Amino acid sequence: MDTYVILRRSGWRSGEELGEAAARSTAEGERMSDDVRWIRSYVLEEGNGVGTVCIYQASSPEAIRAHAAAADLPVDEIVRVADTVVVRPDPQPAAV
Amino acid sequence: MSDLLEREELLLQLESLAAEDGRLVFVGGEAGVGKTALVRAFAERVGGVRRGSCENLVAPTPLGPFLDLGLEPEEPRRVAAAALALAEPIVLEDVHWADAASLDVLRVLGRRIDGSGATVLATYRDDEVAGDHPLRVVLGELASAPGVRRLVVPPLSLDGVRALAEPAGRDAEALYRLTRGNAFFVTEILAAGGDELPETVRDAVLARAALLARPARRLLDAIAVLPLRAEVWLLEQIVPKELEHLDECLDSGTIRADRDAVAFRHELARLAVEDALSPHRRRELHASILAVLETRGDLSRLAHHAEEAGDGDAVLRYAPAAARAAAAARSHREAAAQYERTLRFADGLPAAERVALLRGAAQELHMTGRHEQAVDAYVVAIEHCRELGDTLQEGDLFARLPTMYISLGRNAEAEAASSRAIGLLETLPPGPELTSAYAMQASLRMLNRDNAEGVVWGERALAAAERLADEEGRSFALNMIGTSQLMAGEIDRGVESLLRSLELARAIDSEVRINSALGMLGSGLGEMYELERSERYLEQQIAYGEEREFYVGYALAWLACVKLYRGRWDEVAPLAQIAVAGANQISQITGSIALGRLRARRGDPGVWEVLDEALELSEPGGHLQRLGHVHAARAEAAWLSGDPERAVEEARGAYPLALEKRHLWFAGELAYWQWKAGALDEVPDWIAEPYRLQLAGDAHAAADAWRERLCPYEAARTLADAGDEAALEELDRLGALPAATELRRRLGLRGPRESTRVNPAGLTARELEVLALVADGLQNREIAERLVLSARTVDHHVSAVLRKLAARNRAEAAARYRAISVAAGANMGGPADAGTPARP
Repeated sequence: MDTYVILRRSGWRSGEELGEAAARSTAEGERMSDDVRWIRSYVLEEGNGVGTVCIYQASSPEAIRAHAAAADLPVDEIVRVADTVVVRPDPQPAAV
Repeated sequence: MSDLLEREELLLQLESLAAEDGRLVFVGGEAGVGKTALVRAFAERVGGVRRGSCENLVAPTPLGPFLDLGLEPEEPRRVAAAALALAEPIVLEDVHWADAASLDVLRVLGRRIDGSGATVLATYRDDEVAGDHPLRVVLGELASAPGVRRLVVPPLSLDGVRALAEPAGRDAEALYRLTRGNAFFVTEILAAGGDELPETVRDAVLARAALLARPARRLLDAIAVLPLRAEVWLLEQIVPKELEHLDECLDSGTIRADRDAVAFRHELARLAVEDALSPHRRRELHASILAVLETRGDLSRLAHHAEEAGDGDAVLRYAPAAARAAAAARSHREAAAQYERTLRFADGLPAAERVALLRGAAQELHMTGRHEQAVDAYVVAIEHCRELGDTLQEGDLFARLPTMYISLGRNAEAEAASSRAIGLLETLPPGPELTSAYAMQASLRMLNRDNAEGVVWGERALAAAERLADEEGRSFALNMIGTSQLMAGEIDRGVESLLRSLELARAIDSEVRINSALGMLGSGLGEMYELERSERYLEQQIAYGEEREFYVGYALAWLACVKLYRGRWDEVAPLAQIAVAGANQISQITGSIALGRLRARRGDPGVWEVLDEALELSEPGGHLQRLGHVHAARAEAAWLSGDPERAVEEARGAYPLALEKRHLWFAGELAYWQWKAGALDEVPDWIAEPYRLQLAGDAHAAADAWRERLCPYEAARTLADAGDEAALEELDRLGALPAATELRRRLGLRGPRESTRVNPAGLTARELEVLALVADGLQNREIAERLVLSARTVDHHVSAVLRKLAARNRAEAAARYRAISVAAGANMGGPADAGTPARP
């Protein structure tokens, strides 16, 4: 399993839509837990909607795409994480 | 048993899996961690199981564990079917020692278990299954099979060890540190008593064994030389006096009763006791066992005891027969081991007999991938033949060497051997050996893409086969001819020859020839970008091969490439991964190429690790069909990562060879990458049409040609190269991020992320799609199929829709949809349009 960053820019028009997507993502992720593990996401302000930067562990980029297809999530770009450097803990989660 | 305290969760998992509709569960763990104890506890809970065990022997009996279950020895498919039909759950122990035929049965079981209602547990030592261990390949192949699961039994925790140590008054921490929670080690130490802690498992076992009285120990020693189990009737014959002490041994806990036999509680214990025997005593015991078994043992056991007893005559009596039996059962690893055993004792045999043994050994070594040793065996056999003046056999053996040399990448030696074979055999009246030699030469030429010569030699082989009415030889020759014709670009003639080969193969029902004809049609047409026909034949070959337990990795790898070229990108990875996970080189190379190109075209990570692997595997052989393909993929990847110089370098890695062999497609693509970087001086006029047109300056005709070939990405790429914005739609649809980004940059366009239209009732575009289908009366499952989503996701969407529309049921929602449609009129959109982000 490697760690990957997934960009989903302007994926949804509102926080509600994103919330629904998150529920689908969790449900599909449970089914594929050997191949894909959702670690965390940052929700992005995109002007006319929201996007996300997601951190996943996965057995391959194709597993990430299969999960996204099953849960109906967009995938703009997948980048592999070489190393994680935590300088400060995350700020409090924003209200969605 | 108290150590099962930490196994409750695992037991519940096993019970739950046993209640599902057909599961094959691989239970892994280090030796002595407690897999057997777990599985026995499971057996108690489900009210009985049928058990089969694998022997720790160099050459175990083929299908041993399945014979234990009471099944008949047949081909793997039938054995698997019989196993699935048994009423009780099945437990197979120590499958890391399984013979090749048993592994084949496991493969079939894995593929058919889901929905069968049967439960099979297979325990194995996961720490011994690394590298190219045969079980690892099986586990890899079954990784994505529905119905196959893997469980790992962990060592005991400190608390677990404490629960065992405290009642015995021992220091739990010291015990834990020494044993690292290994249950067997812990119980051995506790049973041996005393204050000292032994250093190793072996010492612990011997300490416990030392507690026995001498006669009981002698009995234990006898039991120790019998792998797996010691039948009581056998012990009666070899250690009659000591047998009275059987109860003492059983009471000591070193052995347990197992039906009409006794066995050590653990293989580690047996090995420790066996090891401690003097060589003399060991040989003595094996000799007595051999004497008793000669009337009723099976060949593998007899051969084993014969060798251990140092009885050369007995080895020569039994091992060759055991080898032939194993080969017939397709247990090639065991067959090879039996032949090797025989050869260790064969020095006194006449040369002609040694030749026969060496031939048998070489064949089995070849089938198990030990090509170096196969070559050595053939070379020695050839020397003997020369001494005997047996020119016919000498020539025949030379004709078999090239296949080995090719597998080792020693092409020059392959050529030399093939020429020698023909030279020798042409001095004799023509026979099947000469036909095979001609066919081997045709095969070498075909592999090297010396197409014209491939046809010439193929026709020589065909003529020779026809003279002898050798149908199999004819089929093989036509296969070589057809493949060479395909590779020379004579598609229709090549297909015709290959179809004739197939027809002949079917007429004589030769599975090998049928499989080979379908395979050459599939991969050959793929290499020539005849994608629709290629796909059809590949699928036929896969279906044919799977039914018969043939290895289909290469066909899967080519199918992955074809799917890639046809733009069906989501279908590529599952196929490619199977090929890459296997141990067959050309499948790994081709599968890696498909995966590498897929990732490069998408802009996904993991490109170079697979393409580097593909290159490393291809280089020793030096064949165009691998190097050309690899370098084309690497040139593409380099270009898409923004490194044109590297693209040129990669292309040039195989361009001279592609020109030499006049390969239309490899030369075409490799020329293309150099041309794009402005590094191509001359364009050959015979390269494949789409490349020829593009390099001549006619991008639109080239794009049309690609489309005719069913290659949407290459068509879009060609337009993109010409700066045509029309390419963007296709590139976005495919998810070709690097190419789309590059084109947008060139044209000064922004990303595809335009604002989405607002849909009525606040529904998303996708929810609207789903609602439309609900209004059409489709069920969620059907909607999932139509939109290629999972059922669960569709359920979510339908719930969201009902909620947003405040509708109580689907009928209401459908009514609302019709109302919305009327109101919105022509503005009602459907599926994702230009405004929404590209979906993968």
